[in-house]
Amino acid sequence: MRRSATPDRRTPPAAGIALVAFLATAAAPALALAQSVPIPDYAQPAFIDSRLAVWIAAQLHLDFAAFVLAVPMFALAIEFFGWRMARRDPAGAARYDWLAHEMARLLPAAYSLTAISGALLGMLLFSAYPRLMAYMTETFGPTFAIYPLFFVAETLCLYFWYYAWDRLQGRRKWAHILLGLLLNIFGTIVMFIANAWATFMMTPGGVDEAGALVSLYGAIWNPGWMPLNVHRLIANITFGALLCAAYAAYRFLSARTEAERALYDWMGYTGNLIALFTMLFLPFAGYYFGFELFAYSATYGVTLMGGVLSWLFIIQAIVIAILFIGAAYYAWLGLLRIPGSEPQRRLVPAFNVALIAGFMVWATPHSMAASIEESTGQFHPLLGALGLMAPKMIAVTLILVVLYVSYLLYRRAGKVPVVAWAATGTRIEWALIALMAATILGLGIYGYFAPADVRIKTSIWQILVLIGGIVVTFVIDLYLLRGARTQAAVRWGTMPRRGQYILILLAFVIVWLMGLMGYARSGARLNWHVFGLVEDTSPGAGLPPLGDAAIVVTAITLIFFALLGVAFAISALGGRAGLPAFGDRAGEAAA
Amino acid sequence: MNAGSGKTNHRWLPLPVGAALIVIAAFVALKAVRPVIPHSVILLYMGFIVLGTVIHITLEDTRIRRFWNFFLSHPGEGGWPKLQRLAVLALLPAAAGWWAYDSVRPTYAPPVEIFQRHPTVGEATLARIVVPPWAAAPANWRDSDIAAGKTLYTANCVVCHGERLDGAGPAAAGFRYPIRPANFRDAGTIGQLTLPYVYWRLTVGGIQNQFNSAMPRWVAAPGDANASSLHSNDLTPDEAWQVILFLYRETGYTPRAE
Repeated sequence: MRRSATPDRRTPPAAGIALVAFLATAAAPALALAQSVPIPDYAQPAFIDSRLAVWIAAQLHLDFAAFVLAVPMFALAIEFFGWRMARRDPAGAARYDWLAHEMARLLPAAYSLTAISGALLGMLLFSAYPRLMAYMTETFGPTFAIYPLFFVAETLCLYFWYYAWDRLQGRRKWAHILLGLLLNIFGTIVMFIANAWATFMMTPGGVDEAGALVSLYGAIWNPGWMPLNVHRLIANITFGALLCAAYAAYRFLSARTEAERALYDWMGYTGNLIALFTMLFLPFAGYYFGFELFAYSATYGVTLMGGVLSWLFIIQAIVIAILFIGAAYYAWLGLLRIPGSEPQRRLVPAFNVALIAGFMVWATPHSMAASIEESTGQFHPLLGALGLMAPKMIAVTLILVVLYVSYLLYRRAGKVPVVAWAATGTRIEWALIALMAATILGLGIYGYFAPADVRIKTSIWQILVLIGGIVVTFVIDLYLLRGARTQAAVRWGTMPRRGQYILILLAFVIVWLMGLMGYARSGARLNWHVFGLVEDTSPGAGLPPLGDAAIVVTAITLIFFALLGVAFAISALGGRAGLPAFGDRAGEAAA
Repeated sequence: MNAGSGKTNHRWLPLPVGAALIVIAAFVALKAVRPVIPHSVILLYMGFIVLGTVIHITLEDTRIRRFWNFFLSHPGEGGWPKLQRLAVLALLPAAAGWWAYDSVRPTYAPPVEIFQRHPTVGEATLARIVVPPWAAAPANWRDSDIAAGKTLYTANCVVCHGERLDGAGPAAAGFRYPIRPANFRDAGTIGQLTLPYVYWRLTVGGIQNQFNSAMPRWVAAPGDANASSLHSNDLTPDEAWQVILFLYRETGYTPRAE
C-alpha cells in the first residue's frame, strides 16, 4: 500500500531551521551585550504592547508545540501495537498502521507552524525585553546552545519518520519504530529544556540573592521544573488526542464513503479515549504543580487561589467539567453504534445525573460574594460546606468512578460472557465498585472533619482506593469477557453527527483551557519577569481585567484553529487511496 | 408520523414539559435557600442542570424526535397537550425577557471588582526579615507579649479589623466594597502565611505596587522615603510582632512554616 504524501512536502522544515539559526545567533550577541554595552530595559518592536505580543506568540507556540510533541507519542504506541499484531491479524495490523499514519499526517504542517511561532516568540522576546533576555542568556547560556541541536535532531527524526513510513514497512518496521522512539526522546528533551527556562522565571533556583548564577544544574532543576514537565507531558497528550479526534470528526463529516466514515469514526473514538484516559491523571498532576508553587512561595498560593487569579480556577473547574462531560457524552452516544447495547443504555441517565451533581460540587466556589446584598459577611453555609477540599475530592473521585463504570459498560455492550462464573463475577465486580465508591465517600467525610494534615492523607488514600479498585475490577472484567460472544459487529460510521460536533467542541475547549491556565501560570508572577529577582517595570506590567484576558485567550484560540485548519486542509488533500478494511471491534482492544 | 410522536401525545408528561419542570424546580429551590446563594453561583448551577437536561434529551434519537414532535400539533389531540405546548412556548420568551430586564434594571450596588488580596513580595525581601527568637516558635510565645499585642490591636487595628478580628470593625463599612479589611478568622489569611510575610504586610502596608488597600504602613524603617506621615511611626518592630502573635493566638491559627 502506497500513500500519496505529496501535499505534505509543501511544508519543508525551513521554518525549523530558521528558528535554530535565530536562537543560535541571538544568544551570543545578547550574552556579549550583557557584559559590555548598556542595554535598554524595554523596547516595543510590535505595534501592540509587548506583553500582549509575547503572550500571543508564546501561547500559539505552546499550542503547536504541545500538538507536535504529543501526537508522535500515541501515534508511535498505536504503530507499535499494530506491528506486534501483524502476524496473528494482518488486517487489524494494517488498520492500526493506517491510524498511526493518519494521526501523524497532521504533523509536518503543524511542525512548521511550531517553528514559525517559536521564531516569532524568540524574536519578540529578544527585541522587546533585551535586559531580561540578556540575563536569561547569561544564566542559561549552555542550554541555549544545546537546545537547537536537539531541535534539529527532532526535526530530522520527525520528517524521516513521517516520509519513510511506507519504505520502512515489513521487516524494516523496527527501524521505523526506532526512529519514532528517537523522535519522542528528542522532542521530550526539547520540551524539558524550554520548561527549565519557563519555570526558572517562576521559581528561580541555582542563583544567589542578587540573581547571579551559582549552579546551572540548580537553575534547570528548579522547584517548578519537574512538576511542570509532568503536567505538560500528560496535558499535551490529552491536547493532541483531542485535536486528532477533532480532525477525525472533520473527516467523518466530510466523508463520502461508508468505509471512510467508519475509519474516521474509529479514529475519533480512539482519540477521545486516549484523551479521557490521560485526563484522569491531570487533576493530580495539577495539584502536584500547585503544591510545589505554594511550597516555593506563599505569594503564589494566595495569588492563584485567593487573589486576583482565583476566578480563573473557578472557570477552569467549569471548563474541565465540560471536557469530562463532553467526553462522557461522546462515549454514551457511542453505545448507539453497538447492537444489543440496550441494557447498558438504560443506565446512562443515572450516570448523567451523577456526573452533573458531581461537577456542581466540583465547581462550587468557597466564597463568592457578587454584590453587597449577597455578602453574608462570613462564608455562605452552603458554599462554605461544599467549596472545601474534602467535598471536592469526593466529587472528583466519584466522577472518575462514574467515567470508569461507563467504560466498563461500553466494553460489555453487545457482548455475552461465556465463562461459567459470569453471573457471580458480574455481581462481585459491581459489589467491588460499590465498595470502592463507599470507601471514597467515607474517607472524604472523615477528612472533612479532620485537621488539614490528616485531610491531605485521606485524599491520597481516596486516589489509591480508586486506582486499586480500577485495577482489581478491570482484571476481573478482562477474564470475565474472555472469549465473550459478540451479538453483532460494532457499526463503525453510524455515530450520530452530533457526536462529531462534540469532538470538535472538545478540541476547542482544550485549546482555550490551555490558553487560560497558561495565562494563570505566567500571570501568577505578577510584576516580576523572574520572580523575586528581575522586576517588570515596563509600562505594560500588570494584569488585565479577567474579561480582557479571556478575550485575548479566545482570540489566540481562534488564530490557532485558523492555522490548524490550514494544516487540516493540507493534510486532507492526500492519501485517499488504499483505506484498510473494517468490520470488527478490533479498534477497542487498543484502548 | 412515526411511532415516537404518537407516544408523545399520549404521555402524561411529555419530554419538554418534564425538562422545563426540572429546570424550573431547580431554579426555585436554589433561589429559596437562605442566606441567599450568590447569583453567579446559581447561574453556574443552572448551567450544569440545563446541560444535563440537554444531554438526557439528545442521548437517544427517539428522545430527540419525541422532544420536537411535542411542538407540532397533531390531529385529534385534546386541550391538555395544547395547553402544555403553549405553556412551554410561553416560558422561553418570558425567561429571556426577565433575563434582559434583570441585567439592565438600575442597581445601587457598586460594581464588583476582583482585587488582589495580598501584594507580591520577593523572597529576598522576606529573607531579610528576621523573626525575633521570642516570636519564632508558637510554643514559646509569652502571655505578656500577647497581652501587649491585644492592647496595641485594640488601640490601632480594631476600628477596621473589628473586635472579633473578623474584618468587621466600625470603620469597615466605610471602605469601598469589596476592598474590605482582612478577616483574620478566614482560613485563607494568616493561617496560610509565614511570620515574615505577615510582618512585611503589616509594616509595609497596602499602598504600593498594584495593591490599593487603605492599610497603613505601621512601622517605618529609618530613613524610609515611603513612610506615610499618618501611622508610620506608631509601632516599633517589637510591638508589630506582639500584634502578630496576638492575631494568631486569638484566632487559633498557627503561622505557616517557612
